[in-house]
Amino acid sequence: MNTPFEARKRRVEENIAGAVRRELTKEQEDALFVLADYDETAAEKTGYSNYSYWRSTINAFFHNRMAVFMLIVLALLTGFTFVQPLLPGQYDPNKINNNPVTGIQLQNQSPGLTTVYDVVPDGYRLIGQRLDDDWYAVSNVILTIKARDGFTVTEYLDTWCRIEYKGREGYVKNDFQTKLKLPDDPTAVPYDSKSNFPIQMFETPDDYTNKGDMLYAPADQIREDEDGVVYAVGETTLRTIPSNQPFLFGTNNIGQDLWARVWRGTRTSLWIGFAVAFFEALIGIVIGIIWGYVRALDRLITEVYNVLDNIPNTIILILISYIMRPGIGTLIFAMSLTRWLGMARFIRNQIVIIRDRDYNLASRCLGTASSRIMVRNLLPYLISVIMLRMALAIPGAIGSEVFITYIGLGLSVKTPSLGNLINEGRKLVTSATLRYQLIFPAIILSIVTIAFYIIGNAFADAADPKNHT
Amino acid sequence: MVKYVLKRLAASAVTLIIVITIVFILLRQMPIEGYFDNFEKLSEAQINVKLANLGLTKSLPAQIWDFYVRLFHGDVGTSTRYSVGTPVTQLIAQKAPLSIVMGLMSMLISMILGIPLGAAMARSKSGFWDKFGTVFIVIVNAVPAAVYYIFIQMYGTSAMGISMLFDRERLITWILPVVSMSLGGIASNAMWLRRYMLDEINKDYVRLARAKGLSSQKIMMRHVFRNAFVPMVQYLPANILYTICGSIYIESLYSVPGMGGLLVDVINRQDNPMVQALVMLYSAIGIIGLLLGDLLMALIDPRISFVKKEGAR
Repeated sequence: MNTPFEARKRRVEENIAGAVRRELTKEQEDALFVLADYDETAAEKTGYSNYSYWRSTINAFFHNRMAVFMLIVLALLTGFTFVQPLLPGQYDPNKINNNPVTGIQLQNQSPGLTTVYDVVPDGYRLIGQRLDDDWYAVSNVILTIKARDGFTVTEYLDTWCRIEYKGREGYVKNDFQTKLKLPDDPTAVPYDSKSNFPIQMFETPDDYTNKGDMLYAPADQIREDEDGVVYAVGETTLRTIPSNQPFLFGTNNIGQDLWARVWRGTRTSLWIGFAVAFFEALIGIVIGIIWGYVRALDRLITEVYNVLDNIPNTIILILISYIMRPGIGTLIFAMSLTRWLGMARFIRNQIVIIRDRDYNLASRCLGTASSRIMVRNLLPYLISVIMLRMALAIPGAIGSEVFITYIGLGLSVKTPSLGNLINEGRKLVTSATLRYQLIFPAIILSIVTIAFYIIGNAFADAADPKNHT
Repeated sequence: MVKYVLKRLAASAVTLIIVITIVFILLRQMPIEGYFDNFEKLSEAQINVKLANLGLTKSLPAQIWDFYVRLFHGDVGTSTRYSVGTPVTQLIAQKAPLSIVMGLMSMLISMILGIPLGAAMARSKSGFWDKFGTVFIVIVNAVPAAVYYIFIQMYGTSAMGISMLFDRERLITWILPVVSMSLGGIASNAMWLRRYMLDEINKDYVRLARAKGLSSQKIMMRHVFRNAFVPMVQYLPANILYTICGSIYIESLYSVPGMGGLLVDVINRQDNPMVQALVMLYSAIGIIGLLLGDLLMALIDPRISFVKKEGAR
């Protein structure tokens, strides 16, 4: 008979026989083991763990590379909002920059890294006037030829023509804007020509104007003779605005520097976000603890919570902003008014669950102070969610600010914030060349909100004792 | 069960009355200009007569009483600036249907895309779909909707070669607002379903089902998905009801003539009776939505019991 049971029985018997055969002698066994001496410190080791909640939390957090990267980005960005106004040559975010010659606002200037337009060599003749102690407004336009006024072309240079006009020599552009009347063979000079438009005559075949406007040269690189003619001294840089400091992000539609406004706005928005997060934590924790600990108030606070929680948050936000005067304080108040609810409920629930657990009872019997119980026994359970909610409150507040500004209840444009910068930029989206006014604030805002979101989630994971090794 | 329903109904009714009263009192703090369409041209006497006609010179409790009496007659006031003299209810009746259609469409999309995404994420933990979904959820949740809506509008309309504004007659202009509206829903559906499904997968009954030899496919569909879906049902009624209100932001961005845009319009024109009526409507919908959600949960989830269990468990 060869049933599975029989086979197994046979295998077991063989194993036992094998073990007996391999049995060690007493001497061999003694040689394998050495008696240890009694060591008091070693005996203590088993009862001791060097686990530290905060160290484990921080270790776990720093293992998340993405979160650490975002933390660095955010720290640099936040720091820069404070450093930026201190850097040399920055514009005031609310200053309306005007063209110093014409007095027209420098509106919608494209973003650029430098104000340098070109460099002219030593002795170059320019037409210009002194602006102030430091700057000359210059160009190389000798004069403007009236529309349909005749002149003589003396040399044809394809995109330029050397001409003679009323006894003066100079150059005019030959392009689709000037539309010079030229003969079939334009190189056969000289001949008479004209344009149907007023055109500018230049000193050399270079256009040293900012789309027809004056350029600016530093006064110490300019020599002025008695006739009011100015000359370049050494290599002279011509700039589009009378400043070495460019409009890095361009200007908005009334000539304010977008770079300065974006950083001031980021600071305002971060400030609103931090304040809302702070009040959420403060109100939420205080009410949550009272709610959880004071049994007599449980019913009352629960009812208040139900009423407030039932109204859509957006509606409370809109209503408060509508009733109160627009301002940073109003925004912070309106946002804090609803955000603490979730925090308080979470803390209350945790406290109700944890407060009567055996280890807390034991702590209390041993005479541990309540404050120590709270910090050592309760807080670690709460901290991950508190931190998560605080971190998410910041992007939430920034987003709400954008929304409230959009519906016309936000901060005035005198207080730049990411919300009103984006709203101002949004009005210009129909024009593709002006979209930078929306894109710059939107990029900064996205970096800030995504960073807080990722850091918040990473810290919440790290602070959860279940994830500690 | 009946007792629970009645209790829940009573609680909601009380909450509704408290909320409406609070909103009413708060809006009485507004400047009185919001009750006139030509405030600057009126003499003081005319203003007082109009205020008296509106019942705004009475004491606050008397005003509240008057308001409730009118409310029970179906009268929530007339617009003073937005559309002078038109009853608010009539304006809402004109605007709501479009919002409801758009809202339901976007809800449908957010379910059709969000639920399979969440299920795929839960099944392929740290696989492609999980990573893809996580990035999508982080972006949608972290970047304020107010910002990416603008970009969708800006690049979407130019890519499709259509005007930035909504036109009811041209179906192609429906796409962008509805898709924008559904993005948040897709992300939240996917995120919660993934979380609930992962919670369920680790439970003992799933191990038992696997030990019984059920295929993974069956376990997912018959057990995990069904159980994970229950907590999501709770917010369904509220979401459906909210479609009446429309998306404040999107409707106003695309000039959709719906309810959401209406609220922004009346706020900008400081039309107090309209703001009051709309805010109350929104609050009422929130409260009723939560109520229905709780009742629906009670109906479909047999674990929620309304009778105290007798004896030992």
